[in-house]
Amino acid sequence: MSDLKTERIEQMLDYIMKKCLWQFHSRAWDRRDQNQGILSKTTQLLCDEHVALETPADRCYWVDAVCLAEAFRERLPWLAGMSVPEIKDLMQGLHERLDYLTIDGSLNEELTDQMY
Amino acid sequence: MPYHEFECSTCIPERKKHAVVKGPGETLADALPLGYLNTIPGTISERGCAYCGAKHVIGTPMKDVIHISHGPVGCTYDTWQTKRYISDNDNFQLKYTFATDVKEKHIVFGAEKLLKQNIIEAFKAHPDIKRMTIYQTCATALIGDDIDAIAQEVMEELPDVDIFVCNSPGFAGPSQSGGHHKINIAWIKNKVGTVEPEITSDYVINYVGEYNIQGDQEVMQDFFKRMGIQILSTFTGNGSYDDLRAMHKAHLNVLECARSAEYICNELRVKYGIPRLDIDGFGFEPLGNSLRKVGLFFGIEDRAQKIIDEETARWKPELDWYKARLTGKKVCLWPGGSKLWHWAHVIHDEMGLDVVSVYTKFGHQGDMEKGIARCEQGALAIDDPNELEGLEAMNRLQPDIIFTGKRPGEVAKKIRVPYLNAHAYHNGPWKGWEGWVRFARDIYNGIYSPIHELSKLDISKDEIPTDKGFKTARMISDADLPEAVRNDPNLRRYTGKYDMVAELRERTYPEFARQGAQEAAA
Ligand code: SF4
Repeated sequence: MSDLKTERIEQMLDYIMKKCLWQFHSRAWDRRDQNQGILSKTTQLLCDEHVALETPADRCYWVDAVCLAEAFRERLPWLAGMSVPEIKDLMQGLHERLDYLTIDGSLNEELTDQMY
Repeated sequence: MPYHEFECSTCIPERKKHAVVKGPGETLADALPLGYLNTIPGTISERGCAYCGAKHVIGTPMKDVIHISHGPVGCTYDTWQTKRYISDNDNFQLKYTFATDVKEKHIVFGAEKLLKQNIIEAFKAHPDIKRMTIYQTCATALIGDDIDAIAQEVMEELPDVDIFVCNSPGFAGPSQSGGHHKINIAWIKNKVGTVEPEITSDYVINYVGEYNIQGDQEVMQDFFKRMGIQILSTFTGNGSYDDLRAMHKAHLNVLECARSAEYICNELRVKYGIPRLDIDGFGFEPLGNSLRKVGLFFGIEDRAQKIIDEETARWKPELDWYKARLTGKKVCLWPGGSKLWHWAHVIHDEMGLDVVSVYTKFGHQGDMEKGIARCEQGALAIDDPNELEGLEAMNRLQPDIIFTGKRPGEVAKKIRVPYLNAHAYHNGPWKGWEGWVRFARDIYNGIYSPIHELSKLDISKDEIPTDKGFKTARMISDADLPEAVRNDPNLRRYTGKYDMVAELRERTYPEFARQGAQEAAA
């Protein structure tokens, strides 16, 4: 991964870690759903694509995605100069990194608990 | 993030895995304190028991309920009136507490008869109250009293009453957190779905994990009502027993304290498909974002924006007055569970405070993840510290103030560190825009109280200066401030009232036409 891409992912990650709560649900499967649900919708918003809002759960992901996309646009001026494939690639990298920090590389021993 | 070993705890090697320092360039995947484990023998924890967590934190804020502990009177004593969760029905749940007063003879011969007699007596003494929660304690759990059977018997004899049984004795978990879990699950299993509510809005929420400390719930309720949102129930501050039986009919669960109440949201999501939206009710920006999110969910974000604009314009100059005087002050943020992450970033961003340490007494590793993610580099994160570790940390970090509970708070005072009560507050509410300014004012008053100047002098050995006069808080806080800031005409101190909650209770709210009604008229 290029240094620039890594740096940009870290900037996005810094915002999520400081300001958001949705990435820290208490179980691994739940975190995976949250990260996927919110980041995929954020990507669609950043790329001006249609966002499906069929279920209440979709709407809930979308709410966090709208706020995240707005915050990214406001704080990260370099986003405006990026093409759709570039944004998608970057968001994919962000998603992988977030999954690693909150799920696959997480030291939280409760994540794999079967019960809530 | 290196693990941190306290000098006072080298004899308890297991403790080393319970503290880390947030180092530069390190992530949550490098080190994370252990959490939610049984207290290690030999370390004197400051935690509460699982009965206390169930009753004191979650059960008792329900306002129209007789809360009765089935056990020795001592258990009840420790959960009475120590937390200021007020209510708009004249604080019934704070004014009265009930215990069955189990004695040795009951341990030998059983205490079920005693329990039944107490239940009936309590309902007779308060004929207007028809709801009751019974809390099991260690003693009555160990002797095996069948509380459910007794409750059932009473409900058959007195058909207009409803009783909820909470089986969460003190030993049912490593800390109060075990009790939070138990009462969440018991409530959804036994009570949710047993009342059908009247729906009065197109936008219906449960407000979950909010305990109305000094009126926090009423502040947030005001915002939701201004947006035309119906709060079906609040779990549990200022909450009504029957409203909480109807939680299944909400469109959205708005979750504040995930530590104590995520369980019921998760279950409501699985069982009834109601989504869970985690929010922050503290701080201008996080609260504004939270209201916007709730607004977006229902398509009424303009109503949220109106509140954000009005409240920010009204209160920002006052927050900034305090920020100018609090910037750079060092804080140990040592609450129970959720406030370490609710506050860690926003007291830094909006008040200029430096969080040098976060701790949690009963939080899980997930709370530490959130707290460490939000605090600045160099902060010391500690899980379930004992008193000596707390003292060692304060001596090393030299905080200007700590936010904690009253037990560690009193310890801090002894070494001349002021504290604010993070659980019960000082002059709250602290939620909402005005509340956040009240919090800043309390911090200011804590740090700059003239008493600290005086208390640092030991009359048995120090020379007492007789040539210097008494210094007010303002003289101390403004001494090094540039003139332009000191006399900035755009900033001002808190101008709200002593009691800001009474007015909220008198408010009337706009009627918003419902979509169903509009369609019928068209
Ligand atoms: S630990 Fe047991 S005996 Fe002690 S207060 Fe809690 S319930 Fe009562």
